[in-house]
Amino acid sequence: MIRLLELAAAAAPDSIAVVTDERSLTWAELLGEARGVAGALADRQIARFAIVEHDAGIVMALLAGAALAGAEPCQFQPDTDAAELAAQLTQFDHRTVVSRRDDLGKVIRPTELVSDRPVQPSDTQPLLIRTTGTTGVPKGARHDWSVLARRVADAVPHPGQRWLLTYGLHQFAGIQMLLHTVSAQATLVAPFPRQPRDGAEALAKLGVTCVSATPTYWRFLLAAARSTGASLPDLEQITLGGEAVPSDLLTRLRETFPSAKISQVYASTEMGSVVSVTDGRPGIGVDKLQSDENPEGTLRVVDGELWVRGSAGMLGYVDGDDTGVDTDPQNAWRPTGDRVEIVGDRIEFRGRDSEVINVGGVKVHPLPVEEALLPVPGVIAVRVYGRANRLTGAIVAADVVLAPEADPDEVRDRMRDAVSALPRAAHPRSVTFVDELETLGGKTIRRSEG
Amino acid sequence: MTADRALAAIGEFLQRANKPHNELTDDLSLYGGGLELDSLETAELSAFLEDTLGSDPFTTVDELPETVGEVLAFYRSASTA
Repeated sequence: MIRLLELAAAAAPDSIAVVTDERSLTWAELLGEARGVAGALADRQIARFAIVEHDAGIVMALLAGAALAGAEPCQFQPDTDAAELAAQLTQFDHRTVVSRRDDLGKVIRPTELVSDRPVQPSDTQPLLIRTTGTTGVPKGARHDWSVLARRVADAVPHPGQRWLLTYGLHQFAGIQMLLHTVSAQATLVAPFPRQPRDGAEALAKLGVTCVSATPTYWRFLLAAARSTGASLPDLEQITLGGEAVPSDLLTRLRETFPSAKISQVYASTEMGSVVSVTDGRPGIGVDKLQSDENPEGTLRVVDGELWVRGSAGMLGYVDGDDTGVDTDPQNAWRPTGDRVEIVGDRIEFRGRDSEVINVGGVKVHPLPVEEALLPVPGVIAVRVYGRANRLTGAIVAADVVLAPEADPDEVRDRMRDAVSALPRAAHPRSVTFVDELETLGGKTIRRSEG
Repeated sequence: MTADRALAAIGEFLQRANKPHNELTDDLSLYGGGLELDSLETAELSAFLEDTLGSDPFTTVDELPETVGEVLAFYRSASTA
Protein backbone atom coordinates (compact mmCIF):
# COMPACT_ATOMS: atom_id res chain seq x y z
CA MET A 1 0.00 0.00 0.00
CA ILE A 2 2.65 2.52 1.07
CA ARG A 3 4.97 1.44 -1.77
CA LEU A 4 2.17 1.90 -4.33
CA LEU A 5 1.36 5.28 -2.83
CA GLU A 6 5.01 6.35 -3.06
CA LEU A 7 5.08 5.30 -6.72
CA ALA A 8 1.92 7.28 -7.48
CA ALA A 9 3.21 10.33 -5.61
CA ALA A 10 6.48 10.18 -7.54
CA ALA A 11 4.79 9.71 -10.91
CA ALA A 12 1.99 12.24 -10.55
CA PRO A 13 2.38 14.26 -7.34
CA ASP A 14 -0.22 16.88 -8.24
CA SER A 15 -2.87 14.56 -9.68
CA ILE A 16 -5.98 14.00 -7.58
CA ALA A 17 -5.83 10.77 -5.58
CA VAL A 18 -9.19 10.94 -3.84
CA VAL A 19 -12.32 13.10 -3.92
CA THR A 20 -14.77 13.04 -0.99
CA ASP A 21 -17.57 15.32 0.21
CA GLU A 22 -15.06 17.01 2.48
CA ARG A 23 -12.03 17.56 0.29
CA SER A 24 -9.75 16.43 -2.54
CA LEU A 25 -6.21 15.20 -1.96
CA THR A 26 -3.33 14.94 -4.40
CA TRP A 27 -0.98 11.96 -4.33
CA ALA A 28 1.74 14.10 -2.76
CA GLU A 29 -0.63 15.36 -0.05
CA LEU A 30 -1.88 11.88 0.68
CA LEU A 31 1.68 10.53 1.00
CA GLY A 32 2.55 13.41 3.34
CA GLU A 33 -0.45 12.60 5.55
CA ALA A 34 0.40 8.88 5.54
CA ARG A 35 3.96 9.58 6.69
CA GLY A 36 2.60 11.81 9.44
CA VAL A 37 0.32 8.96 10.59
CA ALA A 38 3.22 6.46 10.51
CA GLY A 39 5.36 8.77 12.67
CA ALA A 40 2.55 9.23 15.19
CA LEU A 41 1.87 5.48 15.39
CA ALA A 42 5.58 4.94 16.08
CA ASP A 43 5.62 7.76 18.67
CA ARG A 44 2.69 6.21 20.49
CA GLN A 45 3.92 2.64 20.00
CA ILE A 46 0.59 1.60 18.54
CA ALA A 47 0.88 -1.91 17.04
CA ARG A 48 -2.79 -2.42 16.17
CA PHE A 49 -5.84 -0.17 16.11
CA ALA A 50 -9.43 0.15 15.01
CA ILE A 51 -10.62 2.71 12.47
CA VAL A 52 -14.19 4.03 12.64
CA GLU A 53 -14.25 6.66 9.92
CA HIS A 54 -16.28 7.22 6.76
CA ASP A 55 -14.12 9.73 4.87
CA ALA A 56 -12.08 7.80 2.29
CA GLY A 57 -9.26 10.37 2.28
CA ILE A 58 -8.71 10.03 6.01
CA VAL A 59 -8.98 6.23 5.83
CA MET A 60 -6.44 6.02 3.01
CA ALA A 61 -3.92 8.08 4.98
CA LEU A 62 -4.47 5.92 8.08
CA LEU A 63 -4.10 2.66 6.15
CA ALA A 64 -1.00 3.75 4.27
CA GLY A 65 0.56 5.20 7.43
CA ALA A 66 -0.12 1.96 9.29
CA ALA A 67 1.47 -0.05 6.45
CA LEU A 68 4.60 2.11 6.65
CA ALA A 69 4.84 1.70 10.41
CA GLY A 70 3.92 -2.00 10.37
CA ALA A 71 0.86 -1.46 12.60
CA GLU A 72 -2.28 -3.54 11.98
CA PRO A 73 -5.39 -1.48 11.25
CA CYS A 74 -8.90 -2.91 11.25
CA GLN A 75 -11.86 -0.93 9.99
CA PHE A 76 -15.37 -1.13 11.37
CA GLN A 77 -18.47 0.04 9.54
CA PRO A 78 -18.38 3.76 10.33
CA ASP A 79 -22.10 4.30 10.99
CA THR A 80 -22.54 1.33 13.36
CA ASP A 81 -24.54 2.10 16.50
CA ALA A 82 -22.23 2.81 19.49
CA ALA A 83 -23.40 -0.16 21.61
CA GLU A 84 -23.05 -2.61 18.73
CA LEU A 85 -19.67 -1.18 17.87
CA ALA A 86 -18.48 -1.61 21.46
CA ALA A 87 -19.36 -5.31 21.22
CA GLN A 88 -17.54 -5.66 17.90
CA LEU A 89 -14.44 -3.90 19.24
CA THR A 90 -14.43 -6.21 22.26
CA GLN A 91 -14.71 -9.26 19.99
CA PHE A 92 -11.49 -8.21 18.29
CA ASP A 93 -9.90 -6.92 21.51
CA HIS A 94 -9.44 -3.45 20.08
CA ARG A 95 -8.69 -0.82 22.72
CA THR A 96 -7.15 1.83 20.50
CA VAL A 97 -9.80 3.43 18.29
CA VAL A 98 -9.19 6.15 15.73
CA SER A 99 -12.37 8.05 14.97
CA ARG A 100 -13.99 11.47 14.70
CA ARG A 101 -17.17 10.26 16.42
CA ASP A 102 -18.06 11.79 19.79
CA ASP A 103 -20.14 8.89 21.09
CA LEU A 104 -17.45 6.21 21.32
CA GLY A 105 -15.78 7.17 24.59
CA LYS A 106 -12.02 7.56 24.47
CA VAL A 107 -10.80 7.74 20.89
CA ILE A 108 -7.80 9.15 19.05
CA ARG A 109 -8.85 11.72 16.48
CA PRO A 110 -7.20 11.41 13.07
CA THR A 111 -5.89 14.97 13.45
CA GLU A 112 -3.95 13.83 16.54
CA LEU A 113 -2.05 11.24 14.50
CA VAL A 114 0.50 13.61 13.02
CA SER A 115 4.23 13.45 13.64
CA ASP A 116 7.28 14.36 11.62
CA ARG A 117 9.28 11.48 13.05
CA PRO A 118 10.81 9.57 10.10
CA VAL A 119 9.79 5.91 9.94
CA GLN A 120 11.72 3.09 8.30
CA PRO A 121 9.45 0.88 6.21
CA SER A 122 8.32 -2.20 8.11
CA ASP A 123 8.95 -5.72 6.80
CA THR A 124 5.41 -6.75 7.60
CA GLN A 125 2.39 -4.70 6.60
CA PRO A 126 -0.54 -6.37 8.36
CA LEU A 127 -4.17 -5.58 7.72
CA LEU A 128 -7.19 -7.11 9.42
CA ILE A 129 -10.44 -7.25 7.46
CA ARG A 130 -13.72 -8.31 9.03
CA THR A 131 -15.72 -10.58 6.73
CA THR A 132 -19.25 -9.37 5.95
CA GLY A 133 -20.75 -12.29 7.81
CA THR A 134 -22.63 -13.56 4.75
CA THR A 135 -21.73 -16.98 6.03
CA GLY A 136 -22.38 -16.33 9.74
CA VAL A 137 -20.72 -14.32 12.50
CA PRO A 138 -18.12 -11.89 11.09
CA LYS A 139 -14.56 -13.11 11.41
CA GLY A 140 -11.32 -11.22 11.17
CA ALA A 141 -9.25 -12.25 8.16
CA ARG A 142 -5.56 -11.44 8.54
CA HIS A 143 -3.94 -10.07 5.40
CA ASP A 144 -0.65 -8.46 4.44
CA TRP A 145 -0.52 -5.56 2.00
CA SER A 146 2.51 -7.03 0.26
CA VAL A 147 0.53 -10.19 -0.58
CA LEU A 148 -2.60 -8.27 -1.58
CA ALA A 149 -0.56 -5.96 -3.79
CA ARG A 150 0.65 -8.92 -5.90
CA ARG A 151 -2.69 -8.88 -7.67
CA VAL A 152 -2.05 -5.36 -8.94
CA ALA A 153 1.67 -5.74 -9.54
CA ASP A 154 1.24 -5.49 -13.31
CA ALA A 155 -1.35 -2.69 -13.24
CA VAL A 156 -1.01 -0.16 -16.03
CA PRO A 157 -1.31 3.50 -14.97
CA HIS A 158 -4.63 5.09 -15.96
CA PRO A 159 -4.36 8.52 -14.38
CA GLY A 160 -7.44 9.78 -16.24
CA GLN A 161 -9.79 7.19 -14.79
CA ARG A 162 -12.18 8.24 -12.01
CA TRP A 163 -13.49 5.25 -10.06
CA LEU A 164 -16.63 5.54 -7.96
CA LEU A 165 -16.25 3.87 -4.55
CA THR A 166 -19.46 1.92 -3.96
CA TYR A 167 -18.13 -0.40 -1.26
CA GLY A 168 -17.18 0.53 2.27
CA LEU A 169 -13.43 0.61 2.72
CA HIS A 170 -13.99 -1.73 5.70
CA GLN A 171 -14.99 -4.41 3.18
CA PHE A 172 -12.54 -6.54 1.26
CA ALA A 173 -14.06 -5.31 -2.01
CA GLY A 174 -13.42 -1.72 -0.90
CA ILE A 175 -9.77 -2.54 -0.14
CA GLN A 176 -9.42 -4.12 -3.58
CA MET A 177 -10.89 -0.99 -5.13
CA LEU A 178 -8.40 1.10 -3.17
CA LEU A 179 -5.44 -1.01 -4.28
CA HIS A 180 -6.65 -0.88 -7.84
CA THR A 181 -6.93 2.91 -7.97
CA VAL A 182 -3.61 3.50 -6.20
CA SER A 183 -1.76 1.09 -8.48
CA ALA A 184 -3.44 2.58 -11.56
CA GLN A 185 -2.77 6.10 -10.20
CA ALA A 186 -6.43 6.78 -10.89
CA THR A 187 -8.76 9.00 -8.86
CA LEU A 188 -11.04 7.46 -6.24
CA VAL A 189 -14.38 9.29 -6.14
CA ALA A 190 -15.82 8.54 -2.72
CA PRO A 191 -18.98 10.38 -1.69
CA PHE A 192 -20.67 9.31 1.55
CA PRO A 193 -23.16 7.74 2.16
CA ARG A 194 -22.56 5.10 -0.49
CA GLN A 195 -26.13 4.13 -1.33
CA PRO A 196 -27.04 3.50 -4.99
CA ARG A 197 -28.99 6.78 -5.22
CA ASP A 198 -25.83 8.64 -4.07
CA GLY A 199 -23.90 6.71 -6.71
CA ALA A 200 -26.36 7.72 -9.44
CA GLU A 201 -25.92 11.36 -8.41
CA ALA A 202 -22.12 11.04 -8.33
CA LEU A 203 -22.12 9.54 -11.82
CA ALA A 204 -23.89 12.58 -13.16
CA LYS A 205 -22.01 15.22 -11.15
CA LEU A 206 -18.52 14.04 -10.26
CA GLY A 207 -17.17 12.97 -13.63
CA VAL A 208 -17.01 9.27 -12.78
CA THR A 209 -15.69 7.11 -15.64
CA CYS A 210 -15.48 3.66 -14.01
CA VAL A 211 -17.63 1.85 -11.45
CA SER A 212 -17.18 -1.39 -9.53
CA ALA A 213 -20.26 -2.57 -7.60
CA THR A 214 -22.42 -5.55 -6.68
CA PRO A 215 -25.28 -6.52 -9.02
CA THR A 216 -27.75 -5.47 -6.29
CA TYR A 217 -26.15 -2.01 -6.18
CA TRP A 218 -26.26 -1.68 -9.97
CA ARG A 219 -29.92 -2.65 -10.09
CA PHE A 220 -30.85 0.05 -7.57
CA LEU A 221 -28.56 2.64 -9.18
CA LEU A 222 -30.34 2.14 -12.51
CA ALA A 223 -33.74 2.30 -10.80
CA ALA A 224 -32.77 5.47 -8.89
CA ALA A 225 -31.61 7.14 -12.09
CA ARG A 226 -34.86 6.16 -13.82
CA SER A 227 -37.11 7.44 -11.03
CA THR A 228 -35.30 10.79 -10.70
CA GLY A 229 -34.88 11.17 -14.45
CA ALA A 230 -31.13 11.66 -13.94
CA SER A 231 -29.18 11.18 -17.14
CA LEU A 232 -26.28 8.79 -16.75
CA PRO A 233 -23.02 9.45 -18.60
CA ASP A 234 -21.49 6.64 -20.62
CA LEU A 235 -18.77 4.79 -18.73
CA GLU A 236 -15.41 3.35 -19.67
CA GLN A 237 -15.36 0.36 -17.30
CA ILE A 238 -17.98 -1.50 -15.29
CA THR A 239 -16.97 -4.19 -12.81
CA LEU A 240 -19.45 -6.50 -11.08
CA GLY A 241 -18.62 -8.64 -8.08
CA GLY A 242 -19.76 -10.10 -4.80
CA GLU A 243 -22.81 -11.89 -6.18
CA ALA A 244 -23.82 -13.91 -9.20
CA VAL A 245 -24.70 -11.63 -12.11
CA PRO A 246 -28.20 -12.09 -13.57
CA SER A 247 -28.31 -12.02 -17.39
CA ASP A 248 -31.01 -9.34 -17.57
CA LEU A 249 -28.76 -6.97 -15.61
CA LEU A 250 -25.91 -7.47 -18.08
CA THR A 251 -28.33 -6.57 -20.87
CA ARG A 252 -29.54 -3.43 -19.08
CA LEU A 253 -25.98 -2.31 -18.36
CA ARG A 254 -24.98 -2.80 -21.98
CA GLU A 255 -27.98 -0.73 -23.10
CA THR A 256 -27.34 2.07 -20.58
CA PHE A 257 -23.56 2.25 -20.99
CA PRO A 258 -22.91 1.19 -24.60
CA SER A 259 -19.17 1.97 -24.59
CA ALA A 260 -18.34 0.35 -21.25
CA LYS A 261 -16.16 -2.70 -20.94
CA ILE A 262 -17.94 -5.03 -18.51
CA SER A 263 -16.02 -7.40 -16.19
CA GLN A 264 -17.27 -9.78 -13.56
CA VAL A 265 -14.94 -10.58 -10.68
CA TYR A 266 -15.18 -13.63 -8.47
CA ALA A 267 -13.46 -12.94 -5.14
CA SER A 268 -13.81 -13.46 -1.41
CA THR A 269 -12.32 -11.91 1.71
CA GLU A 270 -10.49 -15.16 2.39
CA MET A 271 -9.14 -15.84 -1.08
CA GLY A 272 -8.67 -12.48 -2.77
CA SER A 273 -9.59 -12.13 -6.44
CA VAL A 274 -9.79 -15.49 -8.13
CA VAL A 275 -11.31 -15.06 -11.55
CA SER A 276 -12.27 -12.20 -13.82
CA VAL A 277 -14.78 -12.70 -16.65
CA THR A 278 -14.82 -10.18 -19.47
CA ASP A 279 -16.91 -11.81 -22.18
CA GLY A 280 -20.14 -10.20 -21.00
CA ARG A 281 -21.94 -13.51 -20.38
CA PRO A 282 -23.31 -14.67 -17.02
CA GLY A 283 -21.35 -17.29 -15.10
CA ILE A 284 -17.72 -18.29 -15.64
CA GLY A 285 -16.18 -20.09 -18.65
CA VAL A 286 -15.23 -23.72 -17.97
CA ASP A 287 -11.74 -22.88 -19.28
CA LYS A 288 -11.01 -21.46 -15.80
CA LEU A 289 -11.36 -24.91 -14.23
CA GLN A 290 -8.21 -26.71 -13.20
CA SER A 291 -7.55 -29.73 -15.40
CA ASP A 292 -4.69 -31.67 -16.95
CA GLU A 293 -4.71 -29.19 -19.82
CA ASN A 294 -5.01 -26.23 -17.43
CA PRO A 295 -3.00 -27.07 -14.29
CA GLU A 296 -2.87 -23.39 -13.30
CA GLY A 297 -6.68 -23.14 -13.15
CA THR A 298 -8.01 -21.56 -9.96
CA LEU A 299 -11.42 -23.28 -9.87
CA ARG A 300 -12.75 -26.77 -9.23
CA VAL A 301 -16.26 -28.09 -8.89
CA VAL A 302 -16.58 -30.65 -6.09
CA ASP A 303 -20.02 -32.23 -5.57
CA GLY A 304 -21.75 -29.23 -7.08
CA GLU A 305 -19.81 -26.75 -4.95
CA LEU A 306 -17.24 -24.31 -6.29
CA TRP A 307 -13.74 -24.65 -4.80
CA VAL A 308 -11.15 -21.96 -5.38
CA ARG A 309 -7.54 -21.16 -4.78
CA GLY A 310 -6.25 -17.60 -4.87
CA SER A 311 -2.84 -16.11 -5.35
CA ALA A 312 -3.48 -13.29 -2.87
CA GLY A 313 -5.23 -15.17 -0.12
CA MET A 314 -5.34 -14.30 3.54
CA LEU A 315 -2.85 -15.56 6.11
CA GLY A 316 -5.42 -16.93 8.55
CA TYR A 317 -8.28 -15.99 10.83
CA VAL A 318 -7.74 -13.77 13.82
CA ASP A 319 -9.08 -16.26 16.36
CA GLY A 320 -6.44 -18.76 15.38
CA ASP A 321 -8.96 -21.01 13.65
CA ASP A 322 -6.85 -21.64 10.61
CA THR A 323 -8.46 -24.97 9.77
CA GLY A 324 -8.11 -25.56 6.08
CA VAL A 325 -6.03 -22.43 5.53
CA ASP A 326 -2.95 -23.37 3.61
CA THR A 327 -0.81 -20.47 2.56
CA ASP A 328 0.90 -22.48 -0.15
CA PRO A 329 -1.06 -21.31 -3.18
CA GLN A 330 -0.54 -24.65 -4.91
CA ASN A 331 -2.48 -26.42 -2.22
CA ALA A 332 -4.73 -23.71 -0.88
CA TRP A 333 -8.00 -25.01 -2.24
CA ARG A 334 -11.03 -23.92 -0.27
CA PRO A 335 -14.75 -24.60 -0.61
CA THR A 336 -16.73 -21.43 -1.29
CA GLY A 337 -20.23 -22.47 -0.27
CA ASP A 338 -21.40 -21.43 -3.75
CA ARG A 339 -23.55 -24.05 -5.48
CA VAL A 340 -22.77 -24.25 -9.19
CA GLU A 341 -23.73 -26.29 -12.20
CA ILE A 342 -21.81 -26.75 -15.43
CA VAL A 343 -24.11 -25.95 -18.35
CA GLY A 344 -22.40 -26.23 -21.74
CA ASP A 345 -19.23 -24.16 -21.59
CA ARG A 346 -20.24 -22.17 -18.48
CA ILE A 347 -20.10 -22.59 -14.73
CA GLU A 348 -23.47 -21.17 -13.63
CA PHE A 349 -24.25 -20.05 -10.07
CA ARG A 350 -27.24 -21.56 -8.31
CA GLY A 351 -26.99 -19.89 -4.90
CA ARG A 352 -25.12 -20.40 -1.68
CA ASP A 353 -25.16 -23.58 0.39
CA SER A 354 -26.81 -21.71 3.23
CA GLU A 355 -29.47 -20.34 0.87
CA VAL A 356 -30.78 -23.63 -0.48
CA ILE A 357 -34.49 -23.95 0.30
CA ASN A 358 -35.79 -27.41 1.14
CA VAL A 359 -39.38 -27.51 -0.08
CA GLY A 360 -40.86 -30.83 0.94
CA GLY A 361 -37.57 -32.58 0.21
CA VAL A 362 -36.96 -30.76 -3.06
CA LYS A 363 -33.89 -28.54 -2.96
CA VAL A 364 -34.60 -25.16 -4.51
CA HIS A 365 -31.79 -22.74 -5.34
CA PRO A 366 -32.86 -19.12 -5.11
CA LEU A 367 -30.82 -17.67 -7.97
CA PRO A 368 -32.62 -19.35 -10.89
CA VAL A 369 -35.92 -18.20 -9.36
CA GLU A 370 -34.61 -14.63 -9.16
CA GLU A 371 -33.31 -14.95 -12.72
CA ALA A 372 -36.82 -15.84 -13.87
CA LEU A 373 -38.48 -13.00 -11.96
CA LEU A 374 -36.07 -10.13 -12.61
CA PRO A 375 -37.02 -9.54 -16.28
CA VAL A 376 -40.73 -9.19 -15.35
CA PRO A 377 -41.91 -5.68 -16.30
CA GLY A 378 -42.53 -3.63 -13.15
CA VAL A 379 -39.98 -5.54 -11.06
CA ILE A 380 -36.88 -3.61 -9.97
CA ALA A 381 -35.33 -6.12 -7.60
CA VAL A 382 -36.13 -9.50 -6.06
CA ARG A 383 -34.90 -11.43 -3.07
CA VAL A 384 -35.84 -15.12 -3.00
CA TYR A 385 -35.51 -17.03 0.26
CA GLY A 386 -37.05 -19.83 2.29
CA ARG A 387 -40.03 -19.24 4.55
CA ALA A 388 -40.72 -21.85 7.21
CA ASN A 389 -43.90 -23.83 6.67
CA ARG A 390 -45.36 -26.66 8.71
CA LEU A 391 -46.68 -28.57 5.72
CA THR A 392 -43.62 -28.62 3.48
CA GLY A 393 -40.81 -27.56 5.81
CA ALA A 394 -40.33 -24.40 3.78
CA ILE A 395 -41.86 -22.58 0.88
CA VAL A 396 -40.19 -20.26 -1.57
CA ALA A 397 -40.80 -16.65 -0.62
CA ALA A 398 -39.97 -13.53 -2.61
CA ASP A 399 -39.56 -9.93 -1.56
CA VAL A 400 -40.12 -7.71 -4.56
CA VAL A 401 -39.32 -4.04 -5.11
CA LEU A 402 -41.80 -2.60 -7.60
CA ALA A 403 -41.24 0.18 -10.10
CA PRO A 404 -43.20 3.26 -8.99
CA GLU A 405 -45.76 2.97 -11.78
CA ALA A 406 -46.30 -0.78 -11.50
CA ASP A 407 -49.64 -2.35 -10.57
CA PRO A 408 -49.01 -5.01 -7.87
CA ASP A 409 -51.79 -7.33 -9.09
CA GLU A 410 -50.54 -7.24 -12.67
CA VAL A 411 -46.97 -7.87 -11.54
CA ARG A 412 -48.15 -10.78 -9.39
CA ASP A 413 -49.83 -12.39 -12.42
CA ARG A 414 -46.78 -11.83 -14.61
CA MET A 415 -44.53 -13.32 -11.91
CA ARG A 416 -46.68 -16.44 -11.87
CA ASP A 417 -46.29 -16.78 -15.63
CA ALA A 418 -42.55 -16.09 -15.45
CA VAL A 419 -41.84 -19.06 -13.16
CA SER A 420 -44.15 -21.50 -14.94
CA ALA A 421 -41.21 -23.29 -16.58
CA LEU A 422 -39.51 -23.94 -13.20
CA PRO A 423 -40.29 -26.99 -11.05
CA ARG A 424 -43.45 -26.38 -8.99
CA ALA A 425 -41.53 -26.48 -5.72
CA ALA A 426 -39.57 -23.44 -6.92
CA HIS A 427 -42.65 -21.26 -7.52
CA PRO A 428 -42.82 -18.44 -4.99
CA ARG A 429 -45.71 -19.18 -2.63
CA SER A 430 -45.38 -16.02 -0.60
CA VAL A 431 -44.79 -12.69 -2.33
CA THR A 432 -44.29 -9.47 -0.42
CA PHE A 433 -43.91 -6.06 -2.03
CA VAL A 434 -41.27 -4.09 -0.15
CA ASP A 435 -39.63 -0.66 -0.39
CA GLU A 436 -36.10 -2.04 -0.24
CA LEU A 437 -34.28 -5.36 0.02
CA GLU A 438 -32.32 -6.50 3.01
CA THR A 439 -28.64 -6.30 2.11
CA LEU A 440 -25.34 -6.91 3.85
CA GLY A 441 -22.18 -5.37 2.46
CA GLY A 442 -24.08 -4.49 -0.73
CA LYS A 443 -25.17 -8.09 -1.25
CA THR A 444 -28.71 -9.39 -1.13
CA ILE A 445 -29.38 -11.58 1.93
CA ARG A 446 -31.16 -14.84 1.11
CA ARG A 447 -30.86 -16.75 4.37
CA SER A 448 -34.05 -18.69 5.12
CA GLU A 449 -36.33 -17.27 7.76
CA GLY A 450 -37.82 -19.34 10.51
CA MET B 1 -66.79 -11.43 11.43
CA THR B 2 -63.34 -13.04 11.25
CA ALA B 3 -64.89 -16.12 9.65
CA ASP B 4 -66.32 -13.83 6.96
CA ARG B 5 -62.89 -12.35 6.40
CA ALA B 6 -61.43 -15.85 6.28
CA LEU B 7 -63.99 -16.86 3.64
CA ALA B 8 -63.11 -13.76 1.60
CA ALA B 9 -59.41 -14.56 2.00
CA ILE B 10 -59.88 -18.14 0.77
CA GLY B 11 -61.80 -16.75 -2.23
CA GLU B 12 -59.01 -14.27 -2.98
CA PHE B 13 -56.37 -16.98 -2.65
CA LEU B 14 -58.22 -19.24 -5.10
CA GLN B 15 -58.56 -16.36 -7.54
CA ARG B 16 -54.81 -15.70 -7.38
CA ALA B 17 -54.04 -19.40 -7.72
CA ASN B 18 -56.22 -19.58 -10.85
CA LYS B 19 -58.57 -21.97 -9.09
CA PRO B 20 -61.72 -19.89 -8.67
CA HIS B 21 -64.62 -21.73 -7.05
CA ASN B 22 -68.15 -20.40 -6.97
CA GLU B 23 -69.58 -21.94 -3.84
CA LEU B 24 -67.32 -22.29 -0.84
CA THR B 25 -69.57 -24.45 1.30
CA ASP B 26 -68.58 -25.69 4.76
CA ASP B 27 -68.31 -29.31 3.71
CA LEU B 28 -66.22 -28.61 0.60
CA SER B 29 -62.95 -30.54 0.84
CA LEU B 30 -59.74 -28.55 0.50
CA TYR B 31 -58.18 -31.48 -1.31
CA GLY B 32 -59.36 -34.26 -3.66
CA GLY B 33 -62.98 -34.02 -4.74
CA GLY B 34 -63.15 -30.37 -3.62
CA LEU B 35 -60.71 -27.54 -4.17
CA GLU B 36 -58.03 -30.03 -5.30
CA LEU B 37 -55.22 -28.27 -3.44
CA ASP B 38 -51.95 -30.19 -3.41
CA SER B 39 -49.38 -29.90 -0.64
CA LEU B 40 -47.62 -26.90 -2.18
CA GLU B 41 -50.88 -25.04 -2.73
CA THR B 42 -51.98 -25.86 0.80
CA ALA B 43 -48.67 -24.50 2.10
CA GLU B 44 -49.29 -21.37 0.05
CA LEU B 45 -52.81 -21.01 1.47
CA SER B 46 -51.39 -21.41 4.97
CA ALA B 47 -48.88 -18.58 4.38
CA PHE B 48 -51.55 -16.41 2.73
CA LEU B 49 -53.98 -16.81 5.64
CA GLU B 50 -51.23 -16.04 8.13
CA ASP B 51 -50.27 -12.87 6.23
CA THR B 52 -53.88 -11.76 5.77
CA LEU B 53 -55.43 -12.71 9.11
CA GLY B 54 -52.45 -12.93 11.46
CA SER B 55 -52.74 -16.68 12.14
CA ASP B 56 -53.62 -19.84 10.27
CA PRO B 57 -55.06 -23.19 11.26
CA PHE B 58 -52.45 -25.21 9.35
CA THR B 59 -49.68 -23.92 11.60
CA THR B 60 -51.58 -23.62 14.84
CA VAL B 61 -53.76 -26.66 15.42
CA ASP B 62 -52.67 -30.28 15.85
CA GLU B 63 -55.06 -31.73 13.32
CA LEU B 64 -54.91 -30.19 9.89
CA PRO B 65 -58.21 -28.84 8.58
CA GLU B 66 -59.70 -30.85 5.74
CA THR B 67 -62.68 -28.75 4.71
CA VAL B 68 -63.49 -25.09 4.16
CA GLY B 69 -65.75 -25.31 7.21
CA GLU B 70 -62.89 -26.46 9.44
CA VAL B 71 -60.77 -23.51 8.35
CA LEU B 72 -63.63 -21.11 9.08
CA ALA B 73 -64.28 -22.79 12.45
CA PHE B 74 -60.69 -22.03 13.47
CA TYR B 75 -61.24 -18.30 12.94
CA ARG B 76 -64.71 -18.44 14.50
CA SER B 77 -63.31 -19.98 17.67
CA ALA B 78 -60.34 -17.60 17.60
CA SER B 79 -62.67 -14.56 17.49
CA THR B 80 -64.78 -15.83 20.41
CA ALA B 81 -61.81 -16.95 22.50
